[in-house]
Amino acid sequence: MTPYIKKETLLRASDVSLCYGDKCILRDINFSIRDVIRPGLQQGQVVSLVGRSGIGKTQLFRVLSGLQKPSTGTITIHERKPAEVGGGSIEVWRDRAVQPGDMGVIFQNYYQFGWRTVRQSLLLAARKNPVLAGKEEDAIREYAMRFDIGEVLSRYPSQLSGGQQQRVSIIQQLLKGSDFLLLDEPFSGLDVCVLEKVTELLLQVSLSDELKTLIIVSHDIATTVAISDTVFILGRTADGEGSTLVREIDLIERGLAWRSDLREDKVFLDTLKEIKACL
Amino acid sequence: MFKPFSRLNKGVVVVMVSGQIFLALLIWQLSPGGLIPGPLRVLEALGQLLSSGLLYDNLLASLMLTLKALFYSIVLTLLFSYLSVLPFFRPAAQFIVKCRYLTLTGLIFIFTLLTRDGSALKLSLLVFGIVPFFTTSFLAVIVRAPAQEFELCQTLGYSRWETLYEVIIVGKADQVFEIVRQNFAIAWMMITMVEGLNMSEGGIGTLLIKYNKYNDLPHVLALQAIVLGLGLCFDFGLGQLRRWLFAYTKI
Repeated sequence: MTPYIKKETLLRASDVSLCYGDKCILRDINFSIRDVIRPGLQQGQVVSLVGRSGIGKTQLFRVLSGLQKPSTGTITIHERKPAEVGGGSIEVWRDRAVQPGDMGVIFQNYYQFGWRTVRQSLLLAARKNPVLAGKEEDAIREYAMRFDIGEVLSRYPSQLSGGQQQRVSIIQQLLKGSDFLLLDEPFSGLDVCVLEKVTELLLQVSLSDELKTLIIVSHDIATTVAISDTVFILGRTADGEGSTLVREIDLIERGLAWRSDLREDKVFLDTLKEIKACL
Repeated sequence: MFKPFSRLNKGVVVVMVSGQIFLALLIWQLSPGGLIPGPLRVLEALGQLLSSGLLYDNLLASLMLTLKALFYSIVLTLLFSYLSVLPFFRPAAQFIVKCRYLTLTGLIFIFTLLTRDGSALKLSLLVFGIVPFFTTSFLAVIVRAPAQEFELCQTLGYSRWETLYEVIIVGKADQVFEIVRQNFAIAWMMITMVEGLNMSEGGIGTLLIKYNKYNDLPHVLALQAIVLGLGLCFDFGLGQLRRWLFAYTKI
C-alpha cells in the first residue's frame, strides 16, 4: 500500500441539520476531512458524497458551501492565514465557521455570467485572490493553457460546449484561490470520452496543491469512487426523519485510492456493491 | 405557412408580408369609406406634408422633446430601480410602479403650478407618464434575475455592493435598452397629448390637433403613418444599438 499519513482536520461538519418548517431534510451530519500526506508527493484530497436522487445531496452541498445556513450545527474549516511575525510573514492556522465565498463552488450547470467573456469572468475571480495581485493575466494564461481553453478566452459562455463551460467554472474557482472545491454532479450527462477527460482534470486539480480538497457530490457511484480517497454515503435510517451519513468508507485503507486500474479490481467492485447496498 | 410553429425563409416572409399589406390596402381602397379617406388620398396628403417645411420643424420639436423626456426618464428609472434593492428605498420604487394607474387628467393643473413654462410642463408630464412604466419593467427584470447569478457572486467572495454592481448594473444593462425599446410607444403616444397643452412650440401633436380640428382626415392619417414609421425606426435603431453595445445579446 502507498505510504500515507492523515494530519490536520481541514473541514468538520458537526451536528448539522437542515429543516424547512417541520420537515427535516438533513439531520445529525457529522464528518471530517483530514489532510492526507503522501511522502514525496503533492497530494490533495478527493472526497465523495454519494446518495440516491432526492436524498438531500444538493442541500448538503449548499450547506457545505456556506450558501445555505444549517438549521443546527456548524461547518468549520481549518484555514491558513498569513501573519506578520518579527518583521517576517508566516502562515498561521485557525478554525472558523464556513462563509459564502470560502469554497470554490462548481454548480451542476456550470453557471457563468452571460454578459462576461471567459477572460473577463476569470479576471473577476483572479482579482479576488490576493496571492495573484498584479499577476492575474499570467495566471489566466497559464490555467487556460493547462486546461486547454486558450482559444475560447474571448468567447461568451453561451458559445462554449458543456465541457468547456465546466473547465471555465473550475478554473474560475481555482483562480479565486480556495483550498476547497465543491462540485455538484460533475459527471452528469457526459459521454464516455468526456467523462474520462473530466476525471483526469479533477485528479490534476487535486494534485495541484497539498491542501486542495475536492468534495464531489454525485449519484454516479463508480466514477466518483474511482477518483476518491474517501466516500461518505448519505441515506435514511429508521430512527429519524431526514437524511444522514450512513457510512464512511476509507478507500486508502482498502488500497483503492490514487489508482487508475481500478475498474476490474475485485475490491473495487465489492466496494461498489457495498455502497449500493447502503443506498 | 399554415402549420403551427413552422419556420419560413426570409424571402417567403417578405413576399407574404408584402402581399398582405397590398391586400389590406386594396380592401381599404375598394371599400365604401364614406368620410374615411382611401389610401391614395392619404398618400397624396403624405406627399404634401413631406414637401412642406412645416412637417420637419414640427417633427424636430417632437423628437427633441421625446429624446429629452427619454433621457430624464431613463435616469430616474435607473436611480429608483437600483435603489429599490435597498430596503429603505423599496417602498418609493413600489409607489412609482403603482403610479401607472394614475391618469393625468386633473394633475395637469398641479404640474402647471410646479413648472416655470410650457416647455417644462410638457417635459415633466411626459417624464411622469413614462417613468412608472419603465420602472415596472425594470423592477421585473431585477426580480427575475436568476438566484444563480447572486450565488456565483457569493462563491466568488463578492460583497453585496459588488454583487449589485455585477448582477444588476452591469448584468442587466442590455435590458435597459430593451425596456426603452418596448416602452418607447408610451412616450410617442403621450407626445401628441402633451403638445396639445402648449401649442406655441409646435410639434407633431400640435399638427395632428390642428388637422383633426378641421376634420382633415387625409392629413391626420398621413401624420399617423409618419408617427408609426418613426416609431418603427426607433424600435429598429434601439434594437441595433443594443446588439452593437452588448454583443452577447445577439449570440
